[in-house]
Amino acid sequence: MFDMICAGFAEALQVANLLFVLLGVIAGVIAGAIPGINGPMAIALCIPLSYYMSPVAAIGFLVGLNKGAFFGGSISGILLNTPGTPESAATTWDGHPLALQGKGEKALRMALYASVTGDAFATLVLILVAAPLAAVALYMGPPEVFALICMAMIIIAGLGTKSLIRGLIAAAMGVLVGTIGIEPVSAMPRLTFNIVSLERGISLIPVGIGMLAFSEIIIQLERLIDDKGQAEVLSFSSRPEDRLVSLKEYLRCAGTLLRSSIAGTVVGALPGLGAPVASFFAYDQAVKHSKHPEEFGTGRLEGIAASESANSAVVASSLIPLFTLGIPGNMAAALLIGAFVLHGMTPGPLMFEQNAQFIYAIYGSLIIANLFLLGVGRLGLKLFCKVVRIPPLILYPIIIFTCVMGSYLSQYSTFDVTLMIVFSLLAYFMRKFDYSFICLIIGFILAPIWETSLQQVIIASEQDPYMFFKQPVADILMVLTFLVIGKSMLAARKG
Amino acid sequence: MTQAQRDTISYGTVAVFSSALLLWIIPTWSPEYPGYGVPATLLPNIAAGFMLALSILGLIRTLLHKAASTGSVGRIHWKHLAVFLIPCVLLMPAMSLAGFIPAGIVFMAWIQFVCGQRRWLTMAIVSVVPVVVVYALMRFGLGVPMP
Repeated sequence: MFDMICAGFAEALQVANLLFVLLGVIAGVIAGAIPGINGPMAIALCIPLSYYMSPVAAIGFLVGLNKGAFFGGSISGILLNTPGTPESAATTWDGHPLALQGKGEKALRMALYASVTGDAFATLVLILVAAPLAAVALYMGPPEVFALICMAMIIIAGLGTKSLIRGLIAAAMGVLVGTIGIEPVSAMPRLTFNIVSLERGISLIPVGIGMLAFSEIIIQLERLIDDKGQAEVLSFSSRPEDRLVSLKEYLRCAGTLLRSSIAGTVVGALPGLGAPVASFFAYDQAVKHSKHPEEFGTGRLEGIAASESANSAVVASSLIPLFTLGIPGNMAAALLIGAFVLHGMTPGPLMFEQNAQFIYAIYGSLIIANLFLLGVGRLGLKLFCKVVRIPPLILYPIIIFTCVMGSYLSQYSTFDVTLMIVFSLLAYFMRKFDYSFICLIIGFILAPIWETSLQQVIIASEQDPYMFFKQPVADILMVLTFLVIGKSMLAARKG
Repeated sequence: MTQAQRDTISYGTVAVFSSALLLWIIPTWSPEYPGYGVPATLLPNIAAGFMLALSILGLIRTLLHKAASTGSVGRIHWKHLAVFLIPCVLLMPAMSLAGFIPAGIVFMAWIQFVCGQRRWLTMAIVSVVPVVVVYALMRFGLGVPMP
């Protein structure tokens, strides 16, 4: 076991892997700093590139990208009052007032230190918790897996969206899309409409790029054409006390950082809630625990610390359900499944038995990415601030071209470009009609596992319809699923 | 468009689509039951059945609470969609016909033009540089067969 851990960490420390993690962090910070671009979008665009890397370098690169984007989101939030990512919205409440006082650099430094602290805490929890949880998960049979996926989809649809009905419709659509291709029992094409290219099924890459990146750019361009004004970037004070965060100031935020890191870790480990929920919840808790709650929103460092540490903790903790159960906790984790599959691995408890060294290499990459984020953030802070000044008129056409090329690159197929456009159109309408395309993507990813477990249950039980009632763990999970449905319906009625 | 109109349209569309799936698309485009395991139609039928049931539930709720949901929602910009998506659909065939670089440059110039870019020098640089860089990176760096 110890050999495995050492070999895994040694693999993460190979020069090529280190460089890819560094590249991911830098690209992530730049992507996150641009308003309208977020971590999952950057991951969706970069998954085709990861095909050319080794598995450890690819996952390290994508994880670094996600970490970097979480911090990068705070740059435009603090300087422009336009959060680059939804989870950075709470950061702007205290970050932007500080920037208006000429303390933008101090606010950004606090955001960086809080991000690194939250991420380090969640990574530690991931390392300590994932392997024991996976050992327990190995005892789960097909009925439990089936019930667990039902529960995960209901939680994501119910808690992660505004409407349970629309969330579940989107998840069902995702399952339907996931069934296109060769049917596993008869090995015959299903729902392919005699299109040969559909027989291999629909790849996650055109779906991810179309729904996350392309449709987002189309919506951003709509706003750009309607409103041509661009926010002004603020200048920095040169006084050291306005630029730097002292140890005393950092320690004064220690309680907030710890509370928010715990909140972010717990929220991230639960499927469906995501970083924005963690960020707002942690900010709210910071206000409640403060001796001066009235000062929040005027430029308190604790406000930035709470929001940033909580949302960065989600990055590592969302890998807990992914590694232990094979269920993505959020969109970035869902896209990482695509990257794992691309490299011949299926996330889940068996990964700890079959690819233990790989898991420890990923842990190593997570730690290294965090250290790189600290270094890159400290050294390149002012440079990254310039990224927010790139005009969208230059940036968005380049992103559109990247979307088209990224879809083509996944399988060198022009059909994937068509699929990307179809899914971007679907996501555009889903956004306009207030449906969660995240539910669709997660339903799409979980459909094959769901179908396999359902088939195993039916075949093993010789078509006994009461099979589920004979499995206590599956029963508990189903009861929990109905409880979540009831809670969501109750919340909708109150709301 | 009000919220009630939006919900009625969306639930109605989902109901019609899922009915079509259940009655026509799934039975027509699925393999026959081989006699063991689970029929190929089971999971698609469950998903489509859920969509139909939920959309009907949504329609009923919308009709019952019609007065409460009168707030306006964002409209769909059909022209905007067309000017961006049609060039994207045409890009790959155009690349096969005219070559990657010429088609890519024209595509980038068009996208910038419809975005509102009117500085010709910037437009030329942004049209040429990304296309040439992507081509060089993919063709010579990664050895990818380009369209």
